[in-house]
Amino acid sequence: MKNVIEIKGITKHYKDFTLGGVDAVIPCGFTTALIGVNGAGKTTLIDILCGVTGKSGGEALYFGERRDIDDPALRNRIGYCSSMNFFPPNWTLKTIAASMELGFDNFDRARFTELCRRFKLGDPADKKQKKLAKLSDGNRMRTYLAAVLSRDTELLVLDEPASSLDPLARDMLCDLFREYLAARDGERSVLFSTHNISDMENVTDYAVFMSHGKVIAQGFVEDLKQSYQLVHGDAAQAAKAKPLMMTFSGNATSFEGIALVEQADKLRALDTAVEAPTLQQLSVGLLRKAEQDE
Amino acid sequence: MKIYQNTNEPIYKQIAAQLREQILTGQLQGGDPLPSIRALAQDLRISVITTMKAYEELSAEGLVTATKGKGYFVNAQDAQLLAEQHMRQLEEHLTDAIYSARIAGMGLDEVQQTLAALWNMDA
Repeated sequence: MKNVIEIKGITKHYKDFTLGGVDAVIPCGFTTALIGVNGAGKTTLIDILCGVTGKSGGEALYFGERRDIDDPALRNRIGYCSSMNFFPPNWTLKTIAASMELGFDNFDRARFTELCRRFKLGDPADKKQKKLAKLSDGNRMRTYLAAVLSRDTELLVLDEPASSLDPLARDMLCDLFREYLAARDGERSVLFSTHNISDMENVTDYAVFMSHGKVIAQGFVEDLKQSYQLVHGDAAQAAKAKPLMMTFSGNATSFEGIALVEQADKLRALDTAVEAPTLQQLSVGLLRKAEQDE
Repeated sequence: MKIYQNTNEPIYKQIAAQLREQILTGQLQGGDPLPSIRALAQDLRISVITTMKAYEELSAEGLVTATKGKGYFVNAQDAQLLAEQHMRQLEEHLTDAIYSARIAGMGLDEVQQTLAALWNMDA
């Protein structure tokens, strides 16, 4: 299977935070989620990958052949969207359309108009336009997404695209990801970061988990779900079950946690409920373990 | 195709089961293309890797073949292979039935009687 980005030992040193060394792959043709708590280093990694910020060491290989993210030809193939103020605050749909058209030869104005309509943002051709600064966080993010999705790119890199969106807009975002991937089967990829995966489970193919500046686990979601098990049990069995589990939390009534699938039979013998975790449950388990190990 | 989102049955298994049935009943025939992995994911509103896993399972069973760059196609099903597939399904269902019978404390005689009664009812 091809990778759209291969990340090799990327590091970045700040006074109070160190990223890396990060080794990870972003598979080509899929949606990859970068999952971690606030401050895990997700934004730093994304900013480095998109050339917004410099790195201290390591390298990234894009599309199997490109290394220089400052090369405009490479940047043209990537649609990047940060969670921060992406356009100047006094811009409107109209000025965004005009500037995107100037800046990118792969910007499709008709597509932008269509996406603005689907996101209920209004029409970029209307006379009366609202400034970005006047929009809610959710509508501002919708505007960024409409802009970035209107370019014919091969890779989308989106920093926390879902966190400011309401449930309906998140649902639409998932549809837009699938639509983007299906439009050119196997050639397009999506990378997005999130600290809350639950609304994005059904669109996530590959997961990269980050904690304290490092990648703690990564893999295709279906494989991860088969490697780990969610365990629930009665408090009476807690003492015997605990050594078999990766994460454990319990009270006077019951206990729960994540275990490696190899321990499933032993845990079942303790009369526990053992089942496949959701990606959300797995994320909480892995991130909690990383916090405890730190 | 229909998918249960909130059940213990993994979604990829649900997809594989429905496509398998379509192939074994002849609704999908040898040479027919399956929908592209990402188009099916889009239609069913699930992840790409889930549909891919369903297709890989059918491929491992010899029901479909991946053609590089073109997607998945249904294999021609010869009569003997089809019979074997149905036999395998029959064994699976009977194993479930035996499991239930044991829980209910039924003997082989009783199970055979029940089977005969159902068989005649259906015929």
